[in-house]
Amino acid sequence: MIPLVYYLELSVLVFGIGLYGVLTTRNGIKVLMGIELMLNAANINFVAFSRYLADASGQVFATFIITLAAAEAAVGLALFLAIYRARGTVDVGELQSMRW
Amino acid sequence: MLEYAWLIPLFPLVAFAVILLFGHRFKEQCGYVAIAFLTLSLVVSLLTVVDVLGGRTGGSPGISWINAEGFRFGTMIDQLSALMLFAVSLVGFLIFIYSLGYMHGDEGIQRYFAEISLFIASMLGLVISNNLLFTFICWELVGLCSYLLIGFWYSKPSAASAAKKAFLVTRVGDMAFLLGIFVLYAYFGTLDYNELFERAPEFAKVGSGILGMSVLTLASLLLFGGAVGKSAQFPLHVWLPDAMEGPTTVSALIHAATMVKAGVFLVARTYPLFTPASFLVVAYIGGITALIAALMALVMVDIKRVVAYSTISSLGYMTLALGVGGYAAGLFYLLTHSFFKALLFLAAGSAIHGVHSMDIREMGGLLKKMPITGYTALVGAWALSGLPPLSGFWSKDEILVAVSARDPVLFAMAMVTAFLTATFIFRWFFTIFTGEESERSAHAHESPATMTAPLVVLAIGAAFLGFLKFFGFEEWIVRALPEEPMAIGGDHAMVMQLSILIAALGIATAYIIYNRKAVSSELFVRNLRPLHTFIVNKYYMDHLYIALAERVVAGFSYLMERFDMLVVDGIVNGVGRLFIKVSEVVRRVQTGLVQDYASAVLLGASILLIILKLKEVLA
Repeated sequence: MIPLVYYLELSVLVFGIGLYGVLTTRNGIKVLMGIELMLNAANINFVAFSRYLADASGQVFATFIITLAAAEAAVGLALFLAIYRARGTVDVGELQSMRW
Repeated sequence: MLEYAWLIPLFPLVAFAVILLFGHRFKEQCGYVAIAFLTLSLVVSLLTVVDVLGGRTGGSPGISWINAEGFRFGTMIDQLSALMLFAVSLVGFLIFIYSLGYMHGDEGIQRYFAEISLFIASMLGLVISNNLLFTFICWELVGLCSYLLIGFWYSKPSAASAAKKAFLVTRVGDMAFLLGIFVLYAYFGTLDYNELFERAPEFAKVGSGILGMSVLTLASLLLFGGAVGKSAQFPLHVWLPDAMEGPTTVSALIHAATMVKAGVFLVARTYPLFTPASFLVVAYIGGITALIAALMALVMVDIKRVVAYSTISSLGYMTLALGVGGYAAGLFYLLTHSFFKALLFLAAGSAIHGVHSMDIREMGGLLKKMPITGYTALVGAWALSGLPPLSGFWSKDEILVAVSARDPVLFAMAMVTAFLTATFIFRWFFTIFTGEESERSAHAHESPATMTAPLVVLAIGAAFLGFLKFFGFEEWIVRALPEEPMAIGGDHAMVMQLSILIAALGIATAYIIYNRKAVSSELFVRNLRPLHTFIVNKYYMDHLYIALAERVVAGFSYLMERFDMLVVDGIVNGVGRLFIKVSEVVRRVQTGLVQDYASAVLLGASILLIILKLKEVLA
């Protein structure tokens, strides 16, 4: 059996990659993808601990997160689509109208 | 009818509403509407008085208006209320009738009858109220009506400013009255008269912490402050002479017969609350008022102002009587004064109506032209000067006896006043009604019957009401007090002879100077120039008040304005400016870049994690 810590390391790695993507990339679609990665990193954590502790509620959480991620992706993509139609760009660096 | 006494003020109130809403349909007929409703009031009043005369007193607990302890608006009918009901509704009724003639053809006749109906409603409410709060409400209402009616001819600047003056000066007294109510409510927890009187002895010795006065002394002096304003006592008497700018009927009704009596009535109503200390103040204020007002009446040339000052003087007499313990004497004078002073005012109004002038020097010889007015005025003057057998003598005599038993200084003041009163009222009478006919009086003619009839009725009252003394008036009226007042000593026969002598001397003086013209009044004026100037200028009290208002009050207001602008506004604006400055800097945080926000979240989460870890490690 693979030890728990391997899963956690994988999870941290995936979360880090996702976070890096969110913070550095300027393309809105890629930011959304980064967020997906972070959510899935959390999922790996939940499932791993669920197995390790023999408690099913972790898997329930994972299921919820998958559902939520789907909804988030739908809403996020719809937002960017609308922004693209209005502004002709999805570059988050240019979307600064909420600035002081 | 005792149980239905609450109806008495309601009738004129309905008349007020009807005239206000539908008056434009009635036009000149408004007067009849007002009189019709007042007649109903008069009937109920008289039936109530009959009840009280039959020995029944009481009232109704009334309705609860504000749902709190002690705030029930009920009626309290005793000998005092009965006396006032009689005087107010009867004199009011006569003056309403007189108004038909006097106000005939005036553009504002609808407004006049509406306001005067509201006035009589509030006045009747005031005298039957069973608690101080309702008394105060009616008190303010009569003040309002007084304001409205003094300024009735509001397009005249002098009338408008006289109305304002009356309102503001009485307001000073009303403030004291209100404070008195607060004090009483704070200590007694009730404003119901009967409950107040029952518990008054408990508080006679309790200190109020102000100038070493007891609670009762403080409260009664504050209530008396209200009376000083309303009853035009020194030093708040300055509004009453100016109030003569209103129609003469208003002067007769409000500023002679009824409203100005409200102050005296208040003192009489709250009599059991007064302590010896406060009685002393009451007596001296009354005495001073009587004397200084009589002096001013002596030099005035305006037909109404002479009577106005004489009213102040008479009110001072009543206050003086109440102050020295002459409860019955004061109220007896109040009753007779209502009649003869209303009579004098209405006679003055009739003379003005005939001559179209207010200056007594422009009148003269009117007795032949206006005989009814003239002879009824003579009755009024006779009664006021206090010669037997008219009502003024019997009532004034009672006051003099009461004063003579108490205080020689006050007695001397009262005697001088009595002399001056007889002099100035006969100066007034002789100058207007006897002597040579002036140019203006040559065209004068007697007033219509609506005006002369009330004069005659009032003259009958002024002549014969004094005989009530022989029907046990005094024993009857003191039953309104919870306990018998101390018997007043005093040498009755001596005082009576002295007062007759003094009054006769006064009339003789007036006769020599103003009728025979044996001695010119100019002689006195020339020899007593400074004194004359001093009195003609009303002791410079108006000047004093104006200076006080302009210098002290305006100066203080200026300081307050600066304080408000610089300090209060400064703090408010400063706080606003501070936040603007701070947010100028802080708002730079909002870059609008989503990744900056995400970084901030990461940073915050990292810091939280580090703190948690540190706590674990350190623990």
